[in-house]
Amino acid sequence: MKKLSLNAVKVIALCVIAFCMAIAGFLFREHRTFKETVVVSEGCTEVKKLSDYSDAIKPGSVNDCNVYIYDSGVEGGTFLIIGGSHPEEPTGPMVAQLLAENLKVTKGKVFIITRANNSASTITRIGEAYPRFYTLETNYGTRTWRMGQRHAAELDSWPDPEVYIHYPSTQNLANVDIRNLNRNWPGKEDGLLSERTAFAIMELIRNEGVDYTLDYHEAELEYSVENTLVAHDRGFDVASMVSMTLTADTFDVPIGMEFSPAALRGLSHRDIGDHSNAASFLVEVAEPMLDRIRGVTDEKLLMEGKDIFVIKAGEHGLLYAPMDENGWPIEKRVARHVATTTRLIEMYSMMHPDQEILVEGIPTYQELLTNLGAYYRNPAAVDSSRVYFD
Amino acid sequence: MLVLINGFITLCTYGIALFFLISIVRSFLKTKNVQDAIVYAVMMVPFILRMLRLK
Repeated sequence: MKKLSLNAVKVIALCVIAFCMAIAGFLFREHRTFKETVVVSEGCTEVKKLSDYSDAIKPGSVNDCNVYIYDSGVEGGTFLIIGGSHPEEPTGPMVAQLLAENLKVTKGKVFIITRANNSASTITRIGEAYPRFYTLETNYGTRTWRMGQRHAAELDSWPDPEVYIHYPSTQNLANVDIRNLNRNWPGKEDGLLSERTAFAIMELIRNEGVDYTLDYHEAELEYSVENTLVAHDRGFDVASMVSMTLTADTFDVPIGMEFSPAALRGLSHRDIGDHSNAASFLVEVAEPMLDRIRGVTDEKLLMEGKDIFVIKAGEHGLLYAPMDENGWPIEKRVARHVATTTRLIEMYSMMHPDQEILVEGIPTYQELLTNLGAYYRNPAAVDSSRVYFD
Repeated sequence: MLVLINGFITLCTYGIALFFLISIVRSFLKTKNVQDAIVYAVMMVPFILRMLRLK
């Protein structure tokens, strides 16, 4: 075979990498620009943008997320639900969207943010082989969500500082956490993207007089803060009741209760409460796909929550949550968060009657375990004015 | 003000990435070693994807 000339090799190499980049670029772009459908319930009275609450977020920018408002018109409490702080934890946006699509408020007001750190949902963790999307079969077809990462996309917030100095505590945190929304509370009006996002949400909390907030998360089973409700000082009593009653009457795996540590800054359960009048809560559930010892990383693992290596670790008592051949399927994880939300509303209303919130339409724990897909609505079956995109 | 400074630093970072991309392209064109040429071609990929704001 005739030996190829140097120039020919260079041309071939350029063609090959151009071909690879074209495919990769298409896949990256498709993921980054994918629009998730949200079919709000009839109880939704208004949908605003985060930029409506603060100039720190430019209208139409990547983190200018939707804020779904459910105002009963009857005076009562005000509750903010925060989903999508960490888009690699799918229950966050899934639970927030499920609530947005089913909730009816008959007393008080509820705000729902489904994609708080939208930028982080437009990219996946480098080197971790995450799937780009995850899906759920519903009664009408397949519902699709973007898989994301923990931190805002490097395309939207770059470069990171050498050391991230948290505002206003001046605590030194890991440099990448400048892009982690759950290390940026209460935010900073003239900071980087995640700081400004947290600031805008704090403005919503302060201006709307939010009484309590709930932030959805998932954690690897190797992590000690697992299957638990973390509460700010103002919410200790409510969190205790939620934890005890859910463990007693609903959950097979207990939900714990943790005090928000005052020394660790930037987290929603600490700094939302410290910089507003709201009681802030954060709830965790197990997600085996986040464990470092996992095997094949794919959508199946993400949604079924079963991994042979994590199961083996569970058999040896090396995990902070029980793990067996049943795994932690998405139905169970979503159901736990929804049940926690409902119980939190009940307990908070009971213990703070002047901030009572009454809601309807939220499916029960058992209903979600058996038929999660039934609670995501068909966008083709409703008026287009009820269809929004995240 | 800080937002402006942050924006300027981001532009500088893209400028640095462009500088490295140009350097790699020049090395790719100049080299007479086949293996080096292939390595340079592969090295271009992340810089081009960043310049195009794809990744």
